[in-house]
Amino acid sequence: MNRKAKIVGLLVFVILGAIVSGCIGGEKTTTPTTSEAVKLIWLSTQLNPPEERVFVQEQLLSEFKKETGIDVDFIPISYSDMATRLEAEEKAGKVTIDVIGDLHGGLDYFNSQGWLMDLSGMPKLEGRTFITTFEKYATIGGKKVYVPWMSATYVMVINKKAFDYLPDGLTKEDVMKGTDKWTYDAFLAWAKKLKEATGKPQVGFPAGPKGLFVRFLHGYIYPAYTGYQAKAFDSPEAITMWNYLKELWPYVNPASTTWDAMAEPLLRGEVLIAWDHTARIKNAIETSPDQFVVVPVPRGPKGRGFILVVAGLAIPKGAPHPEEAWKLIDYLTRPETQVKVLEKVGFFPTVKEASGVLPEGPLKILAEGVAAQSATPDAVVAMIPNLGAKGGEFKDIYRTAFERIVLKGEDPVAVTKELKPKLIALFEEQGVEVP
Amino acid sequence: MKVKVSHLPYLLILPAFAYLMFFVGYPLIQALYLAFTENGAFSLATVSRTISDPRFWDALKYTIGLAAVIVPTQVVLALILALVMNRAFRGKDLALYALIIPLTISDVAAGLIWYAMLSPSGFLNKLFLNIGLIDNPVYFFGYQFRHMEFLAIVLAELWRATAIVFVIILAGLQMISPEYLEVAEVFGADYWTKLRKIVIPLLKPSIQSALIIRTLFAMQVFGIVWILAGRDIPILAGEGFYQLTEIKDYGVASIYALTIAALSIVLGAMYIKFMRAEYLEVKE
Repeated sequence: MNRKAKIVGLLVFVILGAIVSGCIGGEKTTTPTTSEAVKLIWLSTQLNPPEERVFVQEQLLSEFKKETGIDVDFIPISYSDMATRLEAEEKAGKVTIDVIGDLHGGLDYFNSQGWLMDLSGMPKLEGRTFITTFEKYATIGGKKVYVPWMSATYVMVINKKAFDYLPDGLTKEDVMKGTDKWTYDAFLAWAKKLKEATGKPQVGFPAGPKGLFVRFLHGYIYPAYTGYQAKAFDSPEAITMWNYLKELWPYVNPASTTWDAMAEPLLRGEVLIAWDHTARIKNAIETSPDQFVVVPVPRGPKGRGFILVVAGLAIPKGAPHPEEAWKLIDYLTRPETQVKVLEKVGFFPTVKEASGVLPEGPLKILAEGVAAQSATPDAVVAMIPNLGAKGGEFKDIYRTAFERIVLKGEDPVAVTKELKPKLIALFEEQGVEVP
Repeated sequence: MKVKVSHLPYLLILPAFAYLMFFVGYPLIQALYLAFTENGAFSLATVSRTISDPRFWDALKYTIGLAAVIVPTQVVLALILALVMNRAFRGKDLALYALIIPLTISDVAAGLIWYAMLSPSGFLNKLFLNIGLIDNPVYFFGYQFRHMEFLAIVLAELWRATAIVFVIILAGLQMISPEYLEVAEVFGADYWTKLRKIVIPLLKPSIQSALIIRTLFAMQVFGIVWILAGRDIPILAGEGFYQLTEIKDYGVASIYALTIAALSIVLGAMYIKFMRAEYLEVKE
């Protein structure tokens, strides 16, 4: 071996030694020296897309760890996988999951199986007031099943230009606040006037194959006319509703059947009024906040039907670290954390204090519209039914009804009579009450 | 190591065979299993569920209909373009690049481009409105305008996928020996006679390859239709995707996939049988 090689070898040895001994590299351990490092396991059906996952891990959870020294393993998972794992762990009596984040329907089901802890005994979460509707849903049969975590809904977006063509008897105020005068009939009159004045149909729905128009059918206009989502599927009130939709459709942009989300058509100026999920119109409002307002949906004879999507955080029965899990829940429901979530992923806060922390701008426009809708006194709140794997078939029935009655012009009485047994069977198969 | 000569062909074909078994054979068996069993036993329930849905027949009709309109038009267009491009002229290279550019664009992107062009506030409508050709925008999209959606899909597909046919036919044209044409000229044949009697017959292998490739792709057409027409115009691949992702009925989705596979095999076999290529050299 020559001299040069010897020197290089020595250097490598020294550097390796330094790394192994901890002088160079390696993470400095600053974690508080609690008795033992706790690592929570948090399963969630929400915030699963890659960019949202990164946000949870790099912003939310690293902040939490800095504050408490508790590590969290965030595991995005599908509803069915979560149900399987939870069931297996509960049955085996060996629970590893600490926190569960899921939609109301799923948590309701887990609770009915007796897999969730009663959270009413936990310490009070200071500095926040949960919106009463959410609080009401989170308590089932006197048991506090989950803590309301995030919410979403579907709203109407109005291009301010449309207010120039309001029909007689309807004011901007009525629409913005969702008064008694803001009805589906007034909406029809408005749509008609818009088409007559501009020469083009100006109302848009996301009725494409991946669009959420079907939510409008079962969660908005059905409850508004019949008071129910599925129970009165073929009732006389439902027939009135279908005839209404047939009357409305000529004033709806025909390309609606190809649209999956309304942000683009709104921004392109193809429609002046649109209905969609808040997450799917967020982009339009962020791009031109001066152009759009978010308003409550119209009301029907039975009230103002709308869907509330609520996600909650729960602790499984027998979870290994319930106290640390409660700390995580505390952190995730703080107004500041909730605003961060709204800014990043567009889910709405479940605590009242959050709106005070919101900066002026597009998100405030959205949040105010959502709040106005939730606060209407005639609300008929609908929850998306939890049909598990049958959810797709459920949506398909409404989609088929719409296609046959409104687009193909078939008789609503015959179509709803034919489809109703299929619809009811879905609920019976899953053992879910018909909403 | 010595390999017996008689084993060599099998050994050489083994990697390809293993690949096909794993990536084609296994999914195919899985699809057959999903389509023809229920609770582990043989059953035709999924099949009857599929064929009792009018959507299936609509999808079949539209898939074949689109292919019947698009593929022949593409071949004729590509043939004309190839004949034009097969001679020397200034700016030929530039023209060639321009023709081939759509090949580099994915079908979804192509769909979006055409959607933006044809929408009521899009480029084409604005152009026609401004030059006074129309008074109101022409609607291309929506259930009520399905025939226009069909037209939009045909336009977009012609724009996007004619290039591949063109490239194949141009390559075929360039392989035709000029001697044949020279001989024909000596005997006084005009342009049309040369085209009918020499060029087209010699191009048959190229046209056959192009036809097979395009027809098989037409059976799986998806992105463009999905973007331009949603499910207003149902097609096999789209309905299969819908069944898989929205309804979560894997059995029915498998039947859609198998239908596409079966159609492709049958059509491919038909082309090979009825369009047997003629090679002048070996013709008796």
